[in-house]
Amino acid sequence: MWSGGGGRGGGRSGIDEDQKLDRSQTRVVLIRSIKMAGEFRRTAALAMVYVIITVLCTLAGPVLVRHGIDAGIKGKDARALDVTVIAYLVVVAIAYVIGRLQYVALNSAGEGFLRMLRMRVFGQMQRQSMAFFDREKAGVLVARMTADVESMSELVQYGLMQFLSSFLLLFFAFFLLMSMSWQLTLISLIVFPFLIAASVKFQRDSNRAYLEVREKVGANLSALQEGITGVRVIQAYAREDEQIRRFKESNRELFRSHLYSVKVSTWYFGLIEFAGIASSALIVGLGGYLVHRGTVSLGTVVAFVLLLASLFDPVQQLSQLYNTLQSAAAALHKLFGIIDAQPDVAESTSPTPLPDAGDVVVDNITFAYAGATKPALDNVSVKLSAGTRLALVGPTGAGKSTLAKLMARLYDPQTGSVSFGGVNLRDASMDDLRRRIVVIPQEGFLFDGTVRDNLLIAKPDATEAELLAALDRLGLRERFEALPEGLSTEVRERGSRLSAGERQLVALSRAALVDPAVLVLDEATSNLDPGTEMLIEAALERLMVGRSVIVVAHRLSTVQRADKIAVVADARISEIGTHDELIALNGHYALLAATWNKTQPH
Amino acid sequence: MSKEPKGVTREGWRLLFATLKLQRRALIMGACVGLAWTLGKVAVPQLTKLAIDRGIEKNGSLLLWTMLILAAATIAGFFAGWRRYIAFRESRLTETMLRERIFAQIQGLHVGYHDKAQTGQLMSRSSSDLQQVQGFVVNIPIFVSQITMVIGVVVILFFSDPILAAVSLFPLPFINISARSFSHKIHPAVMAVQQEQAQLANIVEESVSGIRVIKGFGAEAVQQGKLNIEADDIRRESMRAARIRSRFLPAIDLLPSLGLVAVLGLGGHRVIDGHMTLGGLVAFNTYLTMLIWPMRNIGMTVAFGQRAASALLRVNEILSVVPAIADAVEPKKLPETGLAQPVGAVNFNNVSFGYDVGHLDLTVLNGLSLAIQPGESVAIVGATGSGKSTITRLLLRFYDPQSGNITLDGVDLRDLTLSDLRRAVGVVFEDTLLFNDTVSANVAFAKPGIEQEVIVRAAKLAGAHDFIMQLPQQYDTVLGERGFSLSGGQRQRIAIARAIVADSRVLVLDDATSAVDPTKEHEIRDALATVMRGRTTLVIAHRPATIELADRAVLLDNGVIAAVGTHQELLATNEKYREVLAAWSSPQVVE
Repeated sequence: MWSGGGGRGGGRSGIDEDQKLDRSQTRVVLIRSIKMAGEFRRTAALAMVYVIITVLCTLAGPVLVRHGIDAGIKGKDARALDVTVIAYLVVVAIAYVIGRLQYVALNSAGEGFLRMLRMRVFGQMQRQSMAFFDREKAGVLVARMTADVESMSELVQYGLMQFLSSFLLLFFAFFLLMSMSWQLTLISLIVFPFLIAASVKFQRDSNRAYLEVREKVGANLSALQEGITGVRVIQAYAREDEQIRRFKESNRELFRSHLYSVKVSTWYFGLIEFAGIASSALIVGLGGYLVHRGTVSLGTVVAFVLLLASLFDPVQQLSQLYNTLQSAAAALHKLFGIIDAQPDVAESTSPTPLPDAGDVVVDNITFAYAGATKPALDNVSVKLSAGTRLALVGPTGAGKSTLAKLMARLYDPQTGSVSFGGVNLRDASMDDLRRRIVVIPQEGFLFDGTVRDNLLIAKPDATEAELLAALDRLGLRERFEALPEGLSTEVRERGSRLSAGERQLVALSRAALVDPAVLVLDEATSNLDPGTEMLIEAALERLMVGRSVIVVAHRLSTVQRADKIAVVADARISEIGTHDELIALNGHYALLAATWNKTQPH
Repeated sequence: MSKEPKGVTREGWRLLFATLKLQRRALIMGACVGLAWTLGKVAVPQLTKLAIDRGIEKNGSLLLWTMLILAAATIAGFFAGWRRYIAFRESRLTETMLRERIFAQIQGLHVGYHDKAQTGQLMSRSSSDLQQVQGFVVNIPIFVSQITMVIGVVVILFFSDPILAAVSLFPLPFINISARSFSHKIHPAVMAVQQEQAQLANIVEESVSGIRVIKGFGAEAVQQGKLNIEADDIRRESMRAARIRSRFLPAIDLLPSLGLVAVLGLGGHRVIDGHMTLGGLVAFNTYLTMLIWPMRNIGMTVAFGQRAASALLRVNEILSVVPAIADAVEPKKLPETGLAQPVGAVNFNNVSFGYDVGHLDLTVLNGLSLAIQPGESVAIVGATGSGKSTITRLLLRFYDPQSGNITLDGVDLRDLTLSDLRRAVGVVFEDTLLFNDTVSANVAFAKPGIEQEVIVRAAKLAGAHDFIMQLPQQYDTVLGERGFSLSGGQRQRIAIARAIVADSRVLVLDDATSAVDPTKEHEIRDALATVMRGRTTLVIAHRPATIELADRAVLLDNGVIAAVGTHQELLATNEKYREVLAAWSSPQVVE
């Protein structure tokens, strides 16, 4: 069959040696995916039947030619010849109809499987806790859902079909050849061991070369990107020539790796060409001798010549597809890894409802990030009374953000507990929890879609009236309606159409829409333009009214407005009290306040 | 492709030929090698025919014919390999050379161009578009040899039996037509699948980078809903492509069989009647089989060529841009440093400038005049959008002013070469870009190959040495996107070290300390004070501590200078100045 790309066998797919699965792993992966494919099994089985029929049709051609020659032409029997011709036409017609069905059936089973895989992997990914996202690199997770799944789509589109039909073709062809003439079969088999050995060597060499090309392509692309995104710095320092020289270097390296990959593979294509013709030379020569001896008929020799031609492609394809299959198995293995990951912040099976309001009590918690040697929080206790504000201050990395995150159950502490209104957060349902305690991260993150979509992320079932009411409460409705298409403005490319300040306004409005009892804020450190800055501050003040607030503070002014200040240092709370109390204590906080006073005039 | 106007496509083909002219010799060589392959290949069925008719049927010498076929096999094999080698080498060379041209062009294009161009677009010009070109060039040698093979075989078939040839060849043109039509139809379908895949990737990407928001609001179901829609779309588009494949591929596979049936039926009767030999029949059959692949490929290659032509048109859009900012035709030299006369005098004379954004009038500077003495440092203070950074960009000649002029040591910037100017003006931007290279190389950016001591001294001055020593490989640690990532403040300190190494006569600090932790700013202040000593410096900053470093401060308002004085004087006397500074240092709000 034919891949319809740019050549035989479809695209190349490389696989790293260390990613290759061993035999038993491969078997486990394959069995599991067959089990997973449950609902598509019938379509797949049907496709299998179609493939078998098409293969039989392919093989029928040369057999019919043989019959036509021996019974019709050599036997001077015009009727036998006509019957053969009609039979041949029927076979072609069947092959066409079944061939079409086979494409559709295989693709619909395969694409259905991939669709299910995409949905399940993504669903499972989303269920993981924050710890999972800290651990896994964003790029790797995206690659799982894109490159890894897509690496299978080639297989689904035609690879699997080619693999199956090549395999079946060789299998049936062997018996067919044997039944026609075992002597000629042996003769034709002479070239096959060489062919297989060559194919295996070729696959190995070109796979290695391909991996090198891939690496060089990556390096070249990043050199290119650097040259584009860095063009202002490059020009500012008059470095264009040096940068061009370096790009050329990487570009030429890429060229050399391409050339190398051609060099290690080019002999193979010559050899295949040679072997194809040589094997028919052997059949003609030795077969002719057998015809002279009367062992085989001339029609058989001709059928062999024709059949052999159709067996060369499958042998090449099998070895190429084996590689594709291996990389697909490796991809599936990685995807199963995600599907199998158990979320470590799990939802309680019989949740206790949370009260509408209450104190947040952190009771003697210890928490360490996965892989960290020291705990980020060590036996920390603190209480946030309903309706009060607590500021967390302290050096970077001392654990203040971690404490804030634990108070919203983005992580679970290893020991100790966090409770809201007397209910341990572990016993609450996630839905309930997210309605009482809302975290507003440093950067206002925007999703693709309109401003409205972005607000509704917080509460998908909110009505337009609820949404507008929430904006009114913050005094932001006019600000949003002033956007080019109001709330329906598309934010485009991660909010490039909205300023940093506007993005933060979206984040605040989301929280207002949820109307939580507790707000967890991580204060931004970057500069904004003064106008928006004041708008944000006003909105935030309104948002905080009547709620408990925990704020990770970087600025003196924020700290001064808190009811209580906790200094987090070395994974513990070292000082806690009001601003005046802590100044009087003359400890860590007093020092910090002094530095702030110097650098930020008021 | 097919939708593009004829003239445009023709222009694309013209570009393609012009590009390939450079590789004329090698491509002709490839074509010759391809012809040799054709000869070997076309000989085989003839030899097989003779082997059957003379060797088998007439009991002639089998060994002779077998050896001759083997010889043909050797020729075909050898030249097939060689042809492939030339094809790949030349196509990769085309791609490589074009990519270098694009890169050089990108590096030389004025900043105004880059403001409008999207990185992704430029990237795809030099990657996927060039792949299209490569995909066509690689097919040229095989295309030539296949064309000759088709012609040769058709001639042979007509000579040996015109009627049979006519009947059996009848289905073949349809292969070519189907292959072309398939290629045209499948291309948009494949593109549509890729489009949907990109949209899915986008959702996954935003779900991963926005996970805090999703977890914070429990919005997992919303994202899952979006993803499900995309997964459905991918399946739908993939099935559409599959149906196109199902319509064409089996037909393309089976059309030749009709020719074979015709040969068997019609040819069989002619053998029975004695008008044709059995060997002739087999040869006919083999020739027909030989035509299948070329017929498909020729159709595809034409489609590839059209794609390559339109890709080259897009590439040419970049290559044909004339840089708006270029070296003077007869450049002047700057006065040398180190003489009795101090250098680094900067004069803005009545400069007006606005960014070119369609029809909008975005005048930023409105007849600004500012004289900076050699060695003087001036802080520029102003609200957002007042044009502070524009001053930096004009001084670097990223843009030219619409009226007025800027001089450096008395020479109009436009009379200098760009490299002379930019070597004389060092800058530290707010967004610090680190290159994918070692710390040392990043610091020595302006002067590659400078001694290590100079680099270390600069890093120490910029307050970067200590954290550099804590990196995994100290100064040899690779930074940048593919390397170690530093915090914003650390990056800015590397950039300051970079400017120190550049040792230019004019230094511009464009919000260079914005990301430095306020508690650490005093360390950098000392470094900056050292660097600024005796050097003309423009400081753009919001923090009073940084502004105070400068000898003078100027307040920029409405595109002109509204007030000049020391920081303390302006604080005391100017209401607007106080307002601007207060706005910047006003308590930063949470979130």
